[in-house]
Amino acid sequence: MFFAQLRNELWKLFGKKRTYIGFGAFMLSQAVMLLMFKYTHWQSRLEQLLAQNGYLAAEYISALTVALVMLWPQIALLMPLYVTLVGGDLVAKEAEDGTLRMILSRPISRLRLLLVKWLAGMIFSAVLVLALGVIALGFARLCFPWKGMFVFPQPNSTFGLFPPGEGLGLFVLSHLFMVVNAVTLLSLAFMFSCFNMKPAAATILALSFLFVNVVIQHIPFFEDYQDWFITHHLECWYWVFQQPVQWPQIFQSVITLLAASLTAFVIGAVGFQVRDIKS
Amino acid sequence: MMISLQQVQKKFGARIVVDGLTLGVPRGEIFGLLGHNGAGKSTAIGMMLGQVWPTRGEVKVCGHDVTTQRARALRRVGAIFETPAFYDYLSGWRNLEILSHYSAPTPPERIREVVEWVGLTGRERSAVKTYSHGMRARLAIAQALLPEPELLIFDEPGSGLDPEGIAEMRQTIARLHRELGLTILLSSHLLSEVEQLCSRIAVLNRGLKVFEGRVADIKVARGRVLLKTPDFAAATQLLRARGIITGAVDGNGIVLSEGRTTAEAAKILVEADIPIEGIWLQEQTLEDFYLNLVKTAGPEANRN
Repeated sequence: MFFAQLRNELWKLFGKKRTYIGFGAFMLSQAVMLLMFKYTHWQSRLEQLLAQNGYLAAEYISALTVALVMLWPQIALLMPLYVTLVGGDLVAKEAEDGTLRMILSRPISRLRLLLVKWLAGMIFSAVLVLALGVIALGFARLCFPWKGMFVFPQPNSTFGLFPPGEGLGLFVLSHLFMVVNAVTLLSLAFMFSCFNMKPAAATILALSFLFVNVVIQHIPFFEDYQDWFITHHLECWYWVFQQPVQWPQIFQSVITLLAASLTAFVIGAVGFQVRDIKS
Repeated sequence: MMISLQQVQKKFGARIVVDGLTLGVPRGEIFGLLGHNGAGKSTAIGMMLGQVWPTRGEVKVCGHDVTTQRARALRRVGAIFETPAFYDYLSGWRNLEILSHYSAPTPPERIREVVEWVGLTGRERSAVKTYSHGMRARLAIAQALLPEPELLIFDEPGSGLDPEGIAEMRQTIARLHRELGLTILLSSHLLSEVEQLCSRIAVLNRGLKVFEGRVADIKVARGRVLLKTPDFAAATQLLRARGIITGAVDGNGIVLSEGRTTAEAAKILVEADIPIEGIWLQEQTLEDFYLNLVKTAGPEANRN
């Protein structure tokens, strides 16, 4: 029964056109970015940077490098938008449309209903992130050769250079952590969606929460309190490209994000359990 | 009792929407729940379905407390709401599959059987967004029938339907009762539908139950006698003097004294040479009864 209910949630989710807005937006923005990489000065600047550090630029201006560069703005801007859009819809849209009342006239418990919806949301998050990576790499490969990977420097770190095989492995690994990011963002919007509000309000509240986190995180006073900001932990996907990889730091962030997701679910479930469902 | 509410109260903030409601719907009946907009009907139904939590009191459906044993209480219950909401982008069949799995595993044969029963065969694979209002209403009945219910709850099922749709809905409800032997709770504004379908009714007014009883009793017990005569004043004066009637209303109606009959009244008038063109007992319509009840029932109305 549980799997049948989960399958039903996936039918509902992937049967809606708006679920695919994110996929479409990713494809469009990546196509635009790719054209910009191909036909602007971006390549020559990267060549200069590599040459200044004694590396052969031609070896690292590759599909992997471009795919990774393309991911940054997508992960920072578009993914939160589309994941929270779907997360905000999961419960609130059903309440708005009246289908929630139809469902809750049946003997399914509210907790179970939320659980299958949350799991369906997680599956959507994973599919979206994986599609993002595949599209980025596929598009980049159309215009750039399969060679080594260059990773732009991170704070307190130098840039990274990886042979193609290792670069691809890290690229795939980073997507695992991006899925955790997406699940966290979805859970946040899902939590708001469980309360009595419009789907758009749930999405806006989740995005506002992230925005406030980013703003406060970047105030110098809070430099020593980075661990307290969810947006700091959302960067963990990029840390896999650090050499050596700081696994304890990454796992700490992943656990923090998963705990935040679970907390959001529990808060949402409590709010949903006590609320009255009316027409 | 299929539905039993005991001293149920529901508050939204400081506003009391349902107060001290005690109600019983016996097995096998079509029970009507009447009331103006905001009287508390939908809230009462919400409490029966475990969608709205009562502030106080006990709500039992199929013998189980909805608050503590919701899954057991609703296992054999179907519900149909004012505007049936579906996943319009999916087919009718897929909608039925989705909704049925919230109750119990449902084999395709059962879905096919129900689709056939409501007359949607041939259109079940079309997207619901292509359905007419009447087809949506039929799909709503189909989803309610899937768990093989013993009890069906209709919350304003005729809203938004055209006269043909309303007639079809009425026939369907009667058929559900007749062929499947279901207990039906019908909340509706359409008094004529309730009058034709229901055996018992309860009337809510501002959250309070102001009446509960049999429709047949309303019609007879509170009916009046119409008297058509060229000299109504003389006729009523004579009948009052003989103790046959207690009063006259609207220039054509008389109120019989306890135990008196129209035959006695007619005999006296004929013997007195007062011509009678007609004398008959006019059954009170549910509409007359309801409007009169709501007009007279205030906040201090009969509490159960």
